[in-house]
Amino acid sequence: MSLHDEPHIPDWTEVRTALAKAARERILILDGAMGTMIQRLKLTEENFRGERFKGWKLPLQGNNDLLVITEPQVIEDIHFDYFMAGADIVETNTFSATWVAQADYACEEAVYDINYQGVMVARRAARRAEAADGRRRFVAGALGPTNKTSSMSTDVTSPGFRSITFDQLVEAYGEAIRGLVDAGADLLLFETITDTLNTKAGIFAARRLFDERGIDVPIMISGTITDLSGRTLSGQTPTAFWYSVRHANPLTIGLNCALGANAMRAHLGELSDVADTFICAYPNAGLPNAFGQYDETPEFMAEQIEGFAAAGYVNIVGGCCGSTPEHIKAIADAVGKHKPRAVPEADKFLRLSGLEPFTLTPEIPFVNVGERTNVTGSARFRKLITAGDYTAALDVARDQVANGAQIIDINMDEGLIDSKQVMIDFLNLLAAEPDIAKVPLMIDSSKWEVIEAGLKCVQGKALVNSISMKEGEEAFLHHARLVRAYGAAVVVMAFDEQGQADTVERKVSICTRAYKLLTEEVGFPPEDIIFDPNVFAVATGIEEHNGYGIAFIEATRQIVDTLPHVHISGGISNLSFSFRGNEPVREAMHAVFLYYAIQQGMDMGIVNAGQLAVYESIDPELRDACEDVILNRREDATDRLLALAERYRGVAGKEAAAKDMSWREGTVEERISYALVNGITEYIDADTEEARQKLPRPLHVIEGPLMAGMSVVGDLFGSGKMFLPQVVKSARVMKQAVALLLPYMEAEKLANGGAEDERQSAGKVLMATVKGDVHDIGKNIVGVVLACNNYEIIDLGVMVPVAKILQTARDEKVDIIGLSGLITPSLDEMVHVAAEMEREGFDIPLLIGGATTSRVHTAVKIHPRYERGQAVHVNDASRAVGVVGNLLSPDAKISFIEDIRKEYAKAAAAHERAESEKQRVPLEKARANAFKPDWSSYVPPKPNFLGTRVIEDFDLETLARYIDWTPFFQTWELKGRYPAILEDERQGEAARQLFDDAQLMLKQIIGEKWFKPRAVVGFWPANAVGDDVRLFKDEGRADELATLFTLRQQLSKRDGKPHMALADFVAPEGTPDYVGGFVVTAGIEEVAIAERFERANDDYSSILVKALADRFAEALAEALHERVRKHYWGYGADESFAPDELASEPYRGIRPAPGYPAQPDHTEKTTLFRLLDAEQAVGVTLTESFAMWPGSSVSGLYFSHPDAYYFGVAKVERDQVADYAARKGMPVSEVERWLGPILNYIPGPAIVAAE
Amino acid sequence: MGGGRIVTRIEPIPVTLITEPGHLVALDGETALLRLPANSGHGHADGEQCIACAMRTDVRALLFDMLEGAKQGLRPEFSKVVVDASAVADTAQVIAALQGKLPAQALRDHTVARLFYLAGAA
Repeated sequence: MSLHDEPHIPDWTEVRTALAKAARERILILDGAMGTMIQRLKLTEENFRGERFKGWKLPLQGNNDLLVITEPQVIEDIHFDYFMAGADIVETNTFSATWVAQADYACEEAVYDINYQGVMVARRAARRAEAADGRRRFVAGALGPTNKTSSMSTDVTSPGFRSITFDQLVEAYGEAIRGLVDAGADLLLFETITDTLNTKAGIFAARRLFDERGIDVPIMISGTITDLSGRTLSGQTPTAFWYSVRHANPLTIGLNCALGANAMRAHLGELSDVADTFICAYPNAGLPNAFGQYDETPEFMAEQIEGFAAAGYVNIVGGCCGSTPEHIKAIADAVGKHKPRAVPEADKFLRLSGLEPFTLTPEIPFVNVGERTNVTGSARFRKLITAGDYTAALDVARDQVANGAQIIDINMDEGLIDSKQVMIDFLNLLAAEPDIAKVPLMIDSSKWEVIEAGLKCVQGKALVNSISMKEGEEAFLHHARLVRAYGAAVVVMAFDEQGQADTVERKVSICTRAYKLLTEEVGFPPEDIIFDPNVFAVATGIEEHNGYGIAFIEATRQIVDTLPHVHISGGISNLSFSFRGNEPVREAMHAVFLYYAIQQGMDMGIVNAGQLAVYESIDPELRDACEDVILNRREDATDRLLALAERYRGVAGKEAAAKDMSWREGTVEERISYALVNGITEYIDADTEEARQKLPRPLHVIEGPLMAGMSVVGDLFGSGKMFLPQVVKSARVMKQAVALLLPYMEAEKLANGGAEDERQSAGKVLMATVKGDVHDIGKNIVGVVLACNNYEIIDLGVMVPVAKILQTARDEKVDIIGLSGLITPSLDEMVHVAAEMEREGFDIPLLIGGATTSRVHTAVKIHPRYERGQAVHVNDASRAVGVVGNLLSPDAKISFIEDIRKEYAKAAAAHERAESEKQRVPLEKARANAFKPDWSSYVPPKPNFLGTRVIEDFDLETLARYIDWTPFFQTWELKGRYPAILEDERQGEAARQLFDDAQLMLKQIIGEKWFKPRAVVGFWPANAVGDDVRLFKDEGRADELATLFTLRQQLSKRDGKPHMALADFVAPEGTPDYVGGFVVTAGIEEVAIAERFERANDDYSSILVKALADRFAEALAEALHERVRKHYWGYGADESFAPDELASEPYRGIRPAPGYPAQPDHTEKTTLFRLLDAEQAVGVTLTESFAMWPGSSVSGLYFSHPDAYYFGVAKVERDQVADYAARKGMPVSEVERWLGPILNYIPGPAIVAAE
Repeated sequence: MGGGRIVTRIEPIPVTLITEPGHLVALDGETALLRLPANSGHGHADGEQCIACAMRTDVRALLFDMLEGAKQGLRPEFSKVVVDASAVADTAQVIAALQGKLPAQALRDHTVARLFYLAGAA
């Protein structure tokens, strides 16, 4: 044999042409099963091992692929037999030759060689056959599905799990393909595809290698359908499968394997109808029967396959499992009589897929893309996602599909979550929901890395939203090529280096440029391109915005006319942004807009289908007003729509008010306020003049009635009762008034020698929309509102780099910087600006505003980066005046900032709590970060006795002094601290009455000795062993008495704090240490007394006595602990706290109880009770749920270390539970049952690999 | 809140397992019987299965086919299933499959895990 032959490297373009030509002339023949032939030879382990794997650590029999290295002649002969039986193409014996599948045999190292040699042996057989009959033969490099699946979980209880990722598969397939291509395979054949996403990774790997080498090896793709539903194993219909892989531009698409030829027929027919490429089919020879023989004889199988040919379904046929050269010969003879299938032309329609196909045909006028699974579009979905409630989030998706969404938009752009990870998690979970996953997905993000991560999770053909030329041509081309390599269609925003296109000319020219680049440079199919020419808000009160509606519609017309096959989409809700809160008007605007845009060719949109008015059914008056606005038909269109909008909002009397002049009869202050709120400029000059004459100084007019009126406006706007355009109108009134006053103020200033009054500008505010963002409506509004409040505004516009912001701020000596942004990445940019301000030594306030900004984000991400100054989130424009006023007022500034800092600290803490709920660290890491006190310089105190002691000499009157009353009031649902609660305005009276009753009963309890408190306490030599505490029988510490198991925190810690476990408070072996334990009870008597009250129908007293018994038990535990510290253990002998000081635990040492946060495992009580013999000693027993009976009992462990404190273990992971169960000798399932509330995972079988 | 859920959820279907040969259970019109073939006799090397044969002996795939058959009107609807696994050598595999403990091989295995549950053995 000759392993070192020179490979024959074909000219793949010639191969493609030759095969295509031949496949049009006759039905080509593929070979039959390799495995079946190998099996007949009854090879032994030695055959498989050969020389190379002689001493291999694992059995290799059954690893058929190895035979191309160890028995090459055997494989070559089988190939030769197939060629001579009539095959034009044979598949290499490399079905399992990826590292994924070879891992079973530890043969990952051999993968490249197997693929290389697989081609070499097949090529030698081809040469022999060609020499024998002069007919050309081809070698197809076979690529199996691997034995893992990336599109779904192998664990039905954990549907989001994946045993392999797209990237790993790209690597695995890449290596195999390299071997095949290096050895000169004519074709690559992805076969027996069980998971389309795996194959997409294979295609991606192939494309990457081809691009690197400038080659284009023809690809064949063959799926497998085994069940009645006609779906692939990953759940796709044949057509959906075809759409998912069509981007590979394969020479053939087809099916193989399956339950015999007949079972394949219908599915093959479906593929034959839709695929505009050759069809290849190679079924199993029926099914193996009970005697190990296939039930389809060569003749029978040939007859069935001839049926495929007669129906015109096929271009290439062959056989899979069970077929032999005899089958192939019979098949070749049978199909030879038939013409091959004519490849149909496919219309250039957008074709997408989920589990099911979607084709955007001309019969579909408009596709609603479901927007409810978009965190930026749906507040509800955002809440569910940030809370990690994926179940409910999936229900949102399910409802959308059930409501008819043909595509759903998935967007996770939220500043506070890990958008990329959440996108991955959500898509992985979604994949297991057939009623959602059936539709194609729109993967929507402004971050490319999120889009790319999403594309690696979907087996269907998705739609990317979006890419643009914002960052220039190079990035655009790069993204477009990747979109194509992942097999998706794409939305392209009309956005270039200069910004978002707002005019017809810019929209059209940008889209035209993108179209040329995509179709000519990338080879993007034009029908897979969707342009989004930018829907902007109209009727904002800002004149330049008036033409935005018609610009979109006109651009749509021109784009559709000039760029063949493309589609037009847009986010409709932007349009009516200024009417948020007024749904009837918004719906009408959307309907009118779509009515015109669809006529011009818009065929897709992100819109809430449930909230779309029907054009014809809109009130004609409203419809006309909307049309005037959208088509920009008249100058006063906005005003008219605004006036009309009030009516639809149900704000009555507005129209009447316009004519009603009664407001003119009020005081001048009232009139000014009215004019501001209603935006009436008509009388403002006269009114301002009147006010000026009335008030001592012109400035007082501004600070008085004008500011008062504006604050009413601010409140109305803030509460959603006024809209942006109205505020702008109010601002206009304000500006007019200020303008009138300015000369008087100037004169006053001159009269005062120019010294006194600096009021000309109340302060300088720099405003900018941050780099990468273009949204500026909100910013402009803030600017206008602030300007008319006498602030000087320096507006730097949009996409402003940080350097420019800071330079201007310095040059102009501004007092405040205001940043705005609407898209999510702007959040990061704002953080960057804050950090730069800190670095460059700024200390002026920084305002943060825009739709995606939030108080929490500002508190958590921005505020900490700017400590010299203060970052303030301004949630809407109307508040800006108040905030800026406070920040620039020397009097108010300090307390205002103080309040903000308090509020942010609270928000950050709440956020951190919520986050720490989610993120856990592995047990190993938590252990490495355990709490490690310095044991070398510390001598643990020794108790005064070891073993247990029962104590019964407690005096009820003394104990009563130890009662902590605050929890007593909580029992009665009175919230507040004792004694303040007695004086509480609302609850005080009830609290006082209750307290009096309690004191009365307490006196009786003490006087009549109702309770007999008892306690048992014990101490034992102890040492920490890992996370556990080992107790010893005596000081010799040789004989173990018991083990106290403890749990360790796994929450992620931000500031390097240790991951605590109770065991950390006990010295490790080598340092003698001790642990104590106790059980106390107020006594069993409580039960009988309470029952007596109940029988007397005195529930009040019954509850009261129980509550008091509980207090006594707690008081007893507190009193006993004091005795332990002062006497029994003695380390706190000098302690001198008063009983009522003890509730705040000022002392050293802790007494945590099993079942409470520091050790949430209730079952640990059994050990404690056994050690103390508590049932015998004090009469307290444990129920089957490990509750103590009687109820008024307290138990716990004593730890004496000075640094010991109460912590909460919080949620734990599977790794710790498994470890804990092993340590405790308890089945995992039982541990999981007891720790249920603190498990950070859903219990179930651990995940096992697929094979 | 709420807002019209129109998704109809199918009631989970109980599966009763028979493991002993000759054991008879009464069947009613609502109950479908699924006989599992013995997991032997196929012609691959070393008792291996290709995905097509594997499907023919996998209780999950067969249950899914029954559902699909009912959906396509090829068989009567059913609300209970009796699985006769008496011919199967390793019934533990069947039980594991029905309890969702066997690695899923196909999307249908997720569907079956959600729609069927092992109600008991007869």
